[in-house]
Parts: sequence; C-alpha cells; structure tokens
Amino acid sequence: MFQPTSRAQHTQVPHRSDLALRNEANTRTSISRRTVLRGTGAALALPWLEAMTAQVNALDTGVGHSDSNRPIRLAALFVPNGVRQDCWTPEKDGANFEMTPSLEPLSKVKDQLSVFTNLWNQGSNVGDGHYVKTSGFLTCTTINKSLGIDLNCNGKSMDQVAATHAQKQTPIASIELGIDPVTTGVDTNVGYTRVYGSHIAWAGPTSPLARELNPRLVFERLFRASNPNRALDQQNTLLLDRVLADVRELKDQLGASDRQRMDEYLQSVRSIEKRLQKQQSGRSPWQPLAELSMDQAPASDQPDDFPEHVRLMLDMIALAFQTDTTRVCTFMFGNAVSGRNFSFLEGVSGGHHDTSHHQNDQNKLDAYQKINRWHVAQYAYLLEKLQSMKEGEGNVLDNSMILYGSGLRDGNSHNPHNLPILVGGAAGGRITTGKHFRQNSETPLANLYTGMLQAFGCEINGFADSTGTLPGFRS
Amino acid sequence: MLLIPSVIIAAELPSTTFGDEAKRGDATPEPEDANLEQNQPQQKPIADDQQAVSLLNSFCIDCHHDAEESSFDLMALTDPLAIRENLSIWTKISNRLSDRSMPPSDSDSPSDQNRLSIVRWIQQSIIREVCEDGLSPSGPIIRRLNRTEYANTVRDLLGIHVNAAHALPVDGAGGEGFDNAAETLFISPIHAEKYLDAAKEALSHAMLDPSPRDQLLTVTPNASISAKAAAEAILERFLPRAFRRPINQSEKQEYLELFEQVFEQERLFEPAIQLALEAAMVSPKFLFHLETTATTEQPAKLNSYEMASRLSYFLWASMPDRELLELASQGKLQDDSVLEQQVKRMLNSHIDNRGLRRGAKVREFATSFTEQWLGTRAIGREFEPAAAYQSRYDSELEGGMKYEPIFFFEDLLSDNRSLLELIDSDFTYLNNRLARHYKIQGEFREQPKRTELPEDSVRGGLLGMSAVLAVSSLPHRTSPVLRGKWIMETMLGTPPAPPPADVPELDGADHPITSKNLRERLEQHRSNPTCASCHASLDPLGFGLEKFDVLGTWRDNENGIAIDSTGQLPDGTSFNGSRELKQLLMQRKDQFTRQLTSKMLGFALGRSLTFEDHCTVDQIAITLRQNEYRIQTLVTEIVKSVPFRYKQGILETGAIQNPSQQGDPSDN
Repeated sequence: MFQPTSRAQHTQVPHRSDLALRNEANTRTSISRRTVLRGTGAALALPWLEAMTAQVNALDTGVGHSDSNRPIRLAALFVPNGVRQDCWTPEKDGANFEMTPSLEPLSKVKDQLSVFTNLWNQGSNVGDGHYVKTSGFLTCTTINKSLGIDLNCNGKSMDQVAATHAQKQTPIASIELGIDPVTTGVDTNVGYTRVYGSHIAWAGPTSPLARELNPRLVFERLFRASNPNRALDQQNTLLLDRVLADVRELKDQLGASDRQRMDEYLQSVRSIEKRLQKQQSGRSPWQPLAELSMDQAPASDQPDDFPEHVRLMLDMIALAFQTDTTRVCTFMFGNAVSGRNFSFLEGVSGGHHDTSHHQNDQNKLDAYQKINRWHVAQYAYLLEKLQSMKEGEGNVLDNSMILYGSGLRDGNSHNPHNLPILVGGAAGGRITTGKHFRQNSETPLANLYTGMLQAFGCEINGFADSTGTLPGFRS
Repeated sequence: MLLIPSVIIAAELPSTTFGDEAKRGDATPEPEDANLEQNQPQQKPIADDQQAVSLLNSFCIDCHHDAEESSFDLMALTDPLAIRENLSIWTKISNRLSDRSMPPSDSDSPSDQNRLSIVRWIQQSIIREVCEDGLSPSGPIIRRLNRTEYANTVRDLLGIHVNAAHALPVDGAGGEGFDNAAETLFISPIHAEKYLDAAKEALSHAMLDPSPRDQLLTVTPNASISAKAAAEAILERFLPRAFRRPINQSEKQEYLELFEQVFEQERLFEPAIQLALEAAMVSPKFLFHLETTATTEQPAKLNSYEMASRLSYFLWASMPDRELLELASQGKLQDDSVLEQQVKRMLNSHIDNRGLRRGAKVREFATSFTEQWLGTRAIGREFEPAAAYQSRYDSELEGGMKYEPIFFFEDLLSDNRSLLELIDSDFTYLNNRLARHYKIQGEFREQPKRTELPEDSVRGGLLGMSAVLAVSSLPHRTSPVLRGKWIMETMLGTPPAPPPADVPELDGADHPITSKNLRERLEQHRSNPTCASCHASLDPLGFGLEKFDVLGTWRDNENGIAIDSTGQLPDGTSFNGSRELKQLLMQRKDQFTRQLTSKMLGFALGRSLTFEDHCTVDQIAITLRQNEYRIQTLVTEIVKSVPFRYKQGILETGAIQNPSQQGDPSDN
C-alpha cells in the first residue's frame, strides 16, 4: 500500500527482542532483592522503608523531618491552548472549594489536589501568543525571539532544577515525554521556530530536551536502566570510551562556538557511561522500589489512537515513579497551537487550537470545555493510578507533586495572567493539599515552583522571577 | 557574519500590498543587470536617505539622543548614513521598529506606511553595503545528521533497507524553515543512547542479511588470516566510508584496539568486529557533518571531500557515493565543469515505460525540500480534516496528495524544467485516488504517475494541488485569510505581520460560516483600517482559491449558492478565480524566483541566511532570468556559489582560542 505514514516503514524493523533475555541474564552482584522476590509475582510494590538502607543513606537527610527520606517525585503536565475560564476556577477558596465542571473528574482525589488562582508568568507576557508561553512555561523567563540562531530560553526549566538535584539517586535523571512530533517549520508570521512550541524542558539556556513519543521505547529505556546486563554493559563501556576519545579529539580542532555542540554530545555520551560504570562497580546504592516486568511493556507500535497513546504515556510515568527509575518527568499533551482533532468527544468538531479561539461563541465554548475536561480526566487517571500504587504506609501519589497546567489562560486572548494550574500529591506531606489557593493577582508562577522545588529537596531561595513562596503552600 | 534580523525578512509591516510593486521599481537596490530592474521591482514604498533621517529625527531622537537618558544613543551614529560601520546597531533599530516595540505605545509613532518605508530603507541599505563589500562565506559546518540524513546514510553505508532512524527523536526546524538547520539540531542527553541503540539494531540487521553482511565482512579470519588482520582489512574499508573521508593510521589503530579488547574476552570474531563498527557509528566523526577550520587568512575553498558531502547531503540527504568519493580523491570537486556534471547526474531520476519514477536518490531532496517549504509535511501528520470530510479522505488520497508536489518537483529537477512551472504547469503527478478526486480520466495506480492536464484544467502548479489547498485551510472550512497568507509567505517571501494583540476576531458566529457570509464578514472586517492594512492584500488572494474546498475538491456551489472567487487587490487589479490568480503571480515571477532561491540556498547550506547570502540570491536570480528559469541552473548556481564552496578565513573568524586551555566540564 502506498501510504505516506512513516510509521509503516517502522514495522519492518524488528524490535529488540533481547530485553526479555536480559532479564534472565541479569547478573547483579549487590543485594539481590530481585532474587528474593523471584517467583512471588511481577510488579510487586516494595516497602521503601525496610530494605532500602543503602538508598536512604544516599538521600538528603538534612531536613530533619520524619518524612525527609521519602523519595519525592515531580512531574509537569503541559496542556496547549488554555482553558474555558468560567468552567475552571472554583468560586470558594480554601478547603471548601467546589469542583467546577472542568475540575469535576478530579473529585476522587480532591483531598490530594491543590488549585491555584491568579498565578501568572510575567516573562511570557510578550512576544507571541503561544511559543513564549510554551517554552517559558517551566522556565519563567522570556525566550529569545528566533527562527533558530540564538535559540535561547534564558534559563532552566524547574523540572531540570529538580533533575539536577536528584540525578545521583536514580538511574535516569529525568524523562521527557510527548505525543506530537516536533511541529515542522518555523513560524515566519511571528518570527519563532516551532521548536519552541514543542518543548517545555530545558536543561540550560540553549538546551531544549528532546522528547520520547513512543511508549514502548520509554518502557525499554526504563527497563534497561533498572536491569543492567553486565556482559553487554562492559563491552558498551569500551565502545563509549572510544567514542569519547573521538569527541575530545574533535573538540580540540573546533572553534569556540562549535565546541559547544561537541560538548553537548560529550555530555550525552558521558551520561550513559557514568550509569554503566556505576552499575558495574556494584557500588550503586540504587535499587528499584518495585519490580519492572516485561509483562508491563506496551505493544511495540506507537498507537494511532490518541486517547490510548496518552493513557500509555501516563502509565509509563506511573511505572517510572513507582519503580523509582527516575523522579522527574515532563509530559506534553500536545504542542503549542495544537490543532488536534477532538471529534472523538461528543459535541466537538474542529481542531483544538481553532476551538480555543472561541470568540465567545456558545457552541465553541462548550466544545472547548469538553476538551479541557477530557484533559483533566487524563490527569485524574494518572493521580488515581499513582494513588493505587502502595509505598510504605501510603502510596506513590502521597510522595509526588504532579503539576498540571497551560501557558495561557484563555485560548481566545493568549494571556498569561491567572493561569490554570493544579498540583496533585502531597510531596511526602511537605505541601498542603485539598485546597484552593487564591493569590493576589499577578503572583509569579515561579513562587509556586520555588515552593515545589523546596519541597522536592532543592536548597534554593528562589526560582527565575519568584518573589517568595505561596503562603500556606508548604506544610 | 551578519544575521538577517528575522523580523525584517519574516514579518512585513501591515501596509504590505500586493498590487503596487510594478510602480515602485525605482527604489530597488541596483543589481548588476539593469534589465532585471523592471522585473525585479521593489514591492514596497521605500524611503530615500533624507526621508529616512528625517523620520528618525521625528520619532526617535527625542529619547535616543544621549546615553544617559536611554541605553541607546542615536547621536553616537555621527554619520547616520554610514551604515557599514554600524551594521549591528542598524539591525537593532530596524528590528525594534519592525516588531513595533519602538517607539513605545505612549509616544508618537510613525504611520504604518512610514514605519515600513524606513524599515525597508535600513534593510536595503544594509544589503547594498554588504554586497558592495564582496561576498563572504560562513564558517565551516558542524552539525549532526538529522533524522532523515541518518536513516539514508545508514541505508547507504550498510546496504540495508530499514529505517534505522525510527527511534531517534524528531528534529525541529530552524533558519529558512528546514530540519537540517545547524542551529536547531541540538543534542539532548537521550541522543547518545538512541544512537547506540540504532547502530546496534542496524548492524544486527545487516549481519543477518547475506548481501550487506558480505559487503561488511569482506575478509574473515581463517588459517592464513589472523583475526586482527581480518579486522584491520574490514576497518580500512569501513571507516573512510563511515567518516566520508580518508582516515589516518592512528584512527584505524584506535578502532583496531577496540576490536582487540573485545576479541580478547571471548575470542569471538564477529561480536568483536561488530562492536568496533558500532563504535564508529556512534562516533561524532560519523554522526556530524564536520569541516575543518580554514588555515588561511582569506576565505578558503572547501576540500574535495567536504564538497562531496555538501553535495550529497544537499541533493540526496545522504552520504557521498563511490563516484563522488572517487572524484574527491582526485581533487576534482572544485572544478566548475565537474560540479555541473555531478549536479546533473545527482538530480537524475529515471522514468520507466509506465510513466513511473522509482527510487531515485533525488527523491530525498525533493521530499525534504518541498514538504518543508510548502508545509505539506503536515499531510498525514498535523493535518486532520474535520469529521464532515472524513468520508472522502482515505489513506490512498492522503498518499496521492502528499506525493503530488514531491514527484512534481522531482520531475522539474530531473528534466531541467522551468521553475515557473511551480506557478502554472500543464502536467502533474496523480495516483488513482487523486485522479478521481480531480476528476481526471485515465489509467492510474497507487503510485503517482506523470499526467498531462486537459487544456481547461484548474490543476497545474502548486495552487492546483490538494496538499497545498489543505494545509492552508482550517480543518472544517476553507480560510481565504490563511490561503492568502500562504501565497504571500511561501511563494512570495513576504509573510504578513501577525495581527496586533487583542484584536477581536471575526465575531457573530451565530450560524455556520459559509463561503458567502465569510466574504461578507471579511469585508466588514476590512472596514477597520488596522485590519485592512494586511487583509486588503491577503483576503482577495485567498478568495481566488475559494472554489477549492478543504481537501482541494473543486466546487462551483456551496449549499446551492454559487461561489464567488473574484478578488480585487489594493491597487485596483481585479481577477476571477485561480487561473487568473496564477497569471498575476506569473507577473511576479522574479519575486517568486528570489523566494525559491532563498529557500533552496538555506536548505543547501543548512542554516539561516545572512545579509551576505542575499547578495548571492540576487546574483543567482539574475542568472536564472538569463537562463529561462531552468531549475538545474538554480541548483548548479547554488553549488558554485561562494557560500556553498568556501568557508571563512581566519581573519573573519577572529582570534582562535587555544582549545587545550578549555577544560572538559564533564570530567569531574
């Protein structure tokens, strides 16, 4: 069949079949929890408190709080195109807030939910309607207007601040996930490359982080990181040494500006090598908090069905957090200006972006709200899933902070005032939940991020344009 | 090297008009060929020097007259006309004016007309100064292979037919809008892991397939050949192809050592040599386009191997083949006649006796270039028509739509046709489903086939192609605004400015929008002068295509009401329908030629164009005009141009730092 989809070609490529074998061939020498557990069934949730002394020692213990040793996870879920305002914000403040039509899918986890009103992202209040508000969503900076040269977010995204803090404690520092491939082209109309609209995670000013779109590949990455294969890893270490030597040789021949690119590659190679070395040395204190089993792997093809694709990605986040393979994750439901067709929802026709330009037309507003509500329902799915995963006395959600939000308030006006922002999970009891926090208008979004990062364990006094933290947010 | 301020090129100011250019030709910067002037007119009113200075005096100097009061002192420019000395300052001025961030909203501002004319004046003055200065190339290219290039390179290197890049992250676009732009090919921590997996997977695949396997393992150990000798022979053949240049002894030795380290462990030849080959494919020497820094003060010609790679990644999106590498080894790839022959050879695509084009390497160029230039890559990706169209939209139609512009462009390239056929042509490429969609009789298959169009056909040229008509529509209805914008941006290189903030959009949508009430609404909309400044040009162009629906289906009526596809441009020119619209575009063939040249040069160089590059564009446009707009002339002139075949000399790159003083930040 003569079809344009590139996916058709992918199926010709045999998928790695050695994963299951590796599981068998695993030759871990450190405490073999795995051996103990073999035969007791896959995907056991392990109590983090009992056997994890090595891990506990590796955690920062300086807070002096009884919960301070809990592994805290942080995720940020980005939704493009804003929300319908009158169906979003609860009227009542504090603990008695009501579940509005768009928040209603979160009713079951209301006590684990915080709703924020009047946060804004000042740095993104310039430029254009979408790109600055996407790439700047987690950086709280003003990105450079650029078609490519001088691509720069002028900061670092909050998830990456967390990732840097926790990188030594898990095999993978962070995972970046998405649904849509990077949107093609540059937007000459407003003068931005669409790369900006397709990334929220920035490891540094000029380093947007590429996202994984295929749930199967996410799983394989998690699996490999948590199930080292000693023989193969040893050979790969030799291979990487060769590659690193080539990188250094080239770096010496390059001009200063080109050396940066080679440095990025060097860091990329080094990050695998470090992980392999750590695993081979047997000194790694890390152990999975729950077994990852091949039974949990999604099918090898990326689903064509959007809702299924989203669910699988959220499942991967839950697995990554449950196993403690990483503690930091970002996920984009769609790219900026996404025209995703939501006609699978009753009463919705037309694309997401076009619908968000509702012009106060009642039909469009209704469709817009249905799209908003669907996204919130997916978020609720993730929160409930994390809640179902036992961990110690509580569950994974208790020890997480799952941020949900959009870079603009209302799709019709592209305004970064009063952003729709939610946080689910209690960060191991370090933050207040079950509350609607109404701030003074124009309270920096970065004030929330500062509090979240502090709860995560980062010793920071502020983040980006923050002016403090939100009163009552930290418990 | 100077960057074109994106806003100048990217965003025209609202007084952009379509119809008045022929009358404004007098202010064009003078190309060498005086004949060009009439057909290469300036489309914008442009200030002369005195007007420009007087406008700056009226609107800027009040604040910007001393460094204390503002961070930016215009008075420091002692001679406001000495643009050459202050290129970066002038660039900034024009940027701020162009994006309306200056003058501030509470100050007096020039009219849109005046704002535009001064921006144009600055831009033209800069380009004139720069071109007089002589062309200068940019620095050597350092960029990683993009996803397409990676897949094609692995295919050609290993002789396998799988997409080795399927699991690599998707690349974004930069510069002139292509995903081969160095500036947006960034590297994330995940990349190395992905490259390692991809190399292992591709090599495993090659080892299991007898033909590629024999090509790789040319020698195997036996009684008279030691494992080391066999590995050495294999590496000697593989590494120069992987690195696309000759290797030196120590490079070979390094990879041989890796082989030996692994071989020692288990005494197994194949796993050990495979690992060494994997390493080469994860090495930056394979993954990056790498050119050496010039050692001369003046710009230097690229060496022959660098030219081989530039050519092959431009026209094939893959590694050089045997013939190119052979010519490189003879040092011939800077000879004009050799370059001309090679371009012709590389663009060739054979057409079989059934009228089908199959498997030509130039398809990769045609695909990457047209899909990204036209935005039709969205077909099968972002583009998703609304439910009402779904019953008419299936995968075969999608394929036909997606491939029509690609095959068409491949035809132009291979058969050296006029690039003006992109505006109008008497043939196109159709598969079975698309032919039915276009109501064209004949025998068709799933594979697109070259098809002569009937005399009175509404097809032919880009504006008759469903893919173009679809990606310039909304999912549920056509949009004359978006289609007008598509023409101005894609074909003429003059995108309109974005709407000012908080402008209400079309309102009163109490009943579904139809072509008829849409026209009425847009006309109402244009009664607002702010909106009219852009929409007076945009909307009529789009209305000329109104008889094509969202999927590019021809329609005379909508809901029983005849569709009006007339348009009147701001200068009073009237036209009716797409055929007359194409004639109007044909009158702007030189503007179109410059736009296509800019795009193709940006693609060929894999970066944003600079002011200097626009001098090259001007020169190529002149040559094209003298050579019947032949598309092979365009490609050949790009290949022979200064920015393509030269790299910066030391004088321009500035002081070279001693690299050994730079620590390795990761080694902690």
